[in-house]
Amino acid sequence: MFSRGWFLPIAAALGFSFLYAPIVSLVIFSFNESSLVTVWSGFSTKWYGALFNDPQLLGAAWLSLQIAALSATIALVLGTLAAVALVRFRRFRGRTLFSGMVSAPLVMPDVITGLSLLLLFVAMEGLLGWPQGRGMLTIVIAHATFCTAYVCVVVQSRLSDFDRSLEEAAMDLGASPVRTFFDVTLPIIAPALISGWLLGFTLSLDDLVIASFVSGPGSSTLPMVIFSKVRLGVSPDVNALATIIVGIVALGVLAATLIQLRSKPKKARA
Amino acid sequence: MAKKPQLAVDTRPWRDPANNKPFVRIKNVTKKFGDVSAVHDVSLDIYRSELFCLLGGSGSGKSTLLRMLAGFENPTSGTIEIDGQDMTDVPPYNRPVNMMFQSYALFPHMSVEQNIAYGLKRDHLPKGEIAARVAELLALVKLQDYGKRKPHQLSGGQRQRVALARALAKRPKLLLLDEPLGALDKKLREETQFELVKIQEQLGVTFIVVTHDQEEAMTLATRIGVMNQGEIAMIGEPTDIYEFPNSRFVANFIGSANMVEGTVTADEPDHVRIRSAELGCDIYVGHGVDCAPDQILWWAIRPEKMALSREKPESPFDANVTTGIVEEIAYLGDISVYQVALESGKRIRVSQTNSVRGNPDAITWEEKVYVTWHDNAGSVLTV
Amino acid sequence: MSTTHEPTIPPPRRLRPWNAVERRLARVGITGRMLVLAAPVLWLLVFFLVPLAVVFGISLATKQFGRPPYSPLLTTTEEGTVQLTLHLSNYIRLFTDNLYVAAYLSSIRIAFIATVITLLVGYPMAYAIARAPDKWRNVLLMLVVLPFFTSFLLRVYALSGFMRGNGVINQVLGIFGIPPLAMMQTDFAVYVGIVYTYLPFMILPLYTTLVKLDTSLFEAAADLGARPLRTFLSVTLPLSIPGIIAGSMLVFIPAIGEFVIPSLLGGPETLMIGRVLWDEFFSAANWPRAASVAVAMLVVVVVPIMLLQRVQGAMVEK
Repeated sequence: MFSRGWFLPIAAALGFSFLYAPIVSLVIFSFNESSLVTVWSGFSTKWYGALFNDPQLLGAAWLSLQIAALSATIALVLGTLAAVALVRFRRFRGRTLFSGMVSAPLVMPDVITGLSLLLLFVAMEGLLGWPQGRGMLTIVIAHATFCTAYVCVVVQSRLSDFDRSLEEAAMDLGASPVRTFFDVTLPIIAPALISGWLLGFTLSLDDLVIASFVSGPGSSTLPMVIFSKVRLGVSPDVNALATIIVGIVALGVLAATLIQLRSKPKKARA
Repeated sequence: MAKKPQLAVDTRPWRDPANNKPFVRIKNVTKKFGDVSAVHDVSLDIYRSELFCLLGGSGSGKSTLLRMLAGFENPTSGTIEIDGQDMTDVPPYNRPVNMMFQSYALFPHMSVEQNIAYGLKRDHLPKGEIAARVAELLALVKLQDYGKRKPHQLSGGQRQRVALARALAKRPKLLLLDEPLGALDKKLREETQFELVKIQEQLGVTFIVVTHDQEEAMTLATRIGVMNQGEIAMIGEPTDIYEFPNSRFVANFIGSANMVEGTVTADEPDHVRIRSAELGCDIYVGHGVDCAPDQILWWAIRPEKMALSREKPESPFDANVTTGIVEEIAYLGDISVYQVALESGKRIRVSQTNSVRGNPDAITWEEKVYVTWHDNAGSVLTV
Repeated sequence: MSTTHEPTIPPPRRLRPWNAVERRLARVGITGRMLVLAAPVLWLLVFFLVPLAVVFGISLATKQFGRPPYSPLLTTTEEGTVQLTLHLSNYIRLFTDNLYVAAYLSSIRIAFIATVITLLVGYPMAYAIARAPDKWRNVLLMLVVLPFFTSFLLRVYALSGFMRGNGVINQVLGIFGIPPLAMMQTDFAVYVGIVYTYLPFMILPLYTTLVKLDTSLFEAAADLGARPLRTFLSVTLPLSIPGIIAGSMLVFIPAIGEFVIPSLLGGPETLMIGRVLWDEFFSAANWPRAASVAVAMLVVVVVPIMLLQRVQGAMVEK
């Protein structure tokens, strides 16, 4: 049987175990005493200790967090403006090009995005003398660009089921357009803005390929450091790091889901 | 000399436009979206304390007209005056006008009280005054115990009342209501209709209501403006609109009407004779009509203005009687609607009150019947 | 409630600060719309569209030593004439060198096979979630999205730990006396890697189309005598095609250019174009060649991208 029988639940269960088994095993082995990652030899938290004594890793993590916060913030502003334009301005010249430019970075292969931005930065430096060299600034620009696309999608979907008459009602009751935006529009789309920012933040924190192209000497991000460690083989402190990240992300997603659930009561339309 | 008893002064200012200043004056307003005219050259005067209904189907331009009054749309041409002030270019937030939205548009993140207080806060009234006014309004719409609730915790009817209270909070000179009862179920709608009229009379605020529901318009309105394809087809009191439609559109749009084509055979100052092949008889109209002999025109009559009989009735002018076979009967309880097929093949509808309980002698299917009407029962229409 | 009051609203105040600003801007031809559009349009032009043009330009240069490490397109000769030098050598190399042709074909093959597997794994999951009771649905969806938020790199790493010679899978197999399988450094590992990391991108669009299907459709089909499998094939599947296309494109397009998965899970003979580009750039330091590889890759993904946009447009309009 297909629709009511056992097939679907079993398929779903297998699928979910496929998704989670490697992560679970990684979390378990992060507490392994042995440096052989896959042979259990006893409980230990020494890899966590090693992690916090690795200045290179800590430095990279701090850099990545700064980059992620900055690029998510820039992307939030740009993506929200783009979403407002796409949802509210029904027709304008170049709309197709604009919507293409907004959504193409979503699926553009990372290697192309990375290479193209690097070549741009080099060409710009040659022509304008800016940006001087590559580092945090260029990574932030690159990340903000593709995060804008994600923020735009999230905000767009919230705005398109936004009842315009709410804004009209505020203006009708005497609020100026700017006042209306802050009193009505902003509070209602706030959950989407928060999830857009969080999405941008995690995507930036996650990116290896683009950052590798546009970073300069001395500005290695966390994924770049992890990649160089992992490429050489297994390293148990990466297990510990992964466990911490999984923990933070799980908490974050949980919090975001709760916020979403609370802000979207059963009857979304008043 | 004995004094004649004083008749009550007619309180309907639109009947005496020379001595009354209109409160809302819409002059030659046109609104185009691209190449399409949503509203075309509409002129309309509305008087203080009226409850004016704009009635029309979807796409008739009624909502666009309302949105122009609120200031959400700017007319392409023409002017809108409210209480003597030109409002054409005034943005919505500076108009002494408030609107009750079809979707109610209650702010979902604010409580009922905050919703009602929103407009008052924009006027920077002192806190105490706002609180007093909010309490007053909650009492008006009988929601005293619901002030702290959020809109999604209210029923449809309660939300409708909050929306009304919020729109009334700033004591607007003019209240615009977009399909105010559209989202309510039938029973609640009927109750709310009367409540709305009561509040309007109590406060004396001018109401302009947009609706597509003719029954609603008839119940609420002091006057109705029937809109069709961006133009006003007719303005009048509910009885005028129903009894004296000015065009085929209005006759068909409001209630149901039998409509036949005919040719003028006699055009006298006190009567007109129309020959109608469709009807299979002459129509004698007991008043003068602005027409010419041999002119082709239409004649409309409401189903309840006709009578059925088995015997041929008297016809003083050898007119106003035709005959046919009963094809269908729709029994609606209070009335029955008979569909009669005339000899020409034309079908007309005649309704009869069921004043006798379980009448065994009622006219039934396949019977040959005579249909008759009075001289002034129908309307002669030239457009 | 007092019964009659004369409205006490003062005459409209026409001058608010915002109106004044707006009017002043309108006088020089600037509308509110332009202010909203300006920032994202400029940003995307400069940092998305122009870079693609730059890539195309540099793909027509040749490698040379110095900074920047490619020949200039425009040179000024001694007589003062400007000379434009375009080299097609990179593109000629792309078509004549077996490495590139093989890498393209193998990327498309790997991405295609992996996409099909992802669809086969993801469809039942999406369907199960769409048909799950309301209270479970959000939890299950969150479980799908959660891995997407954890580091991509670390997930690939976790998978490699799972599949390697002495990894968890082989240890479990060992318990049953089965000799260890050599899974790592094969194309198989790359397929598993792509399915593993891109599964959420397949499930989400499938779920959105499936959850919108009216259950009365299934009831109607059953009522008309269709058996469950028949109902699925004749009702559910055709109606979920937009989701299938969107999900498949969301997997296929990035998989073509994938770099991390083939380099961590694949073997030396696993050829993928993203890896070739990376090596051309970082190891061979041949920027113009890398640029030409990127242009050719863009040509390969442009059709799927347009297909995706059309499907998404249709899905949004519904």
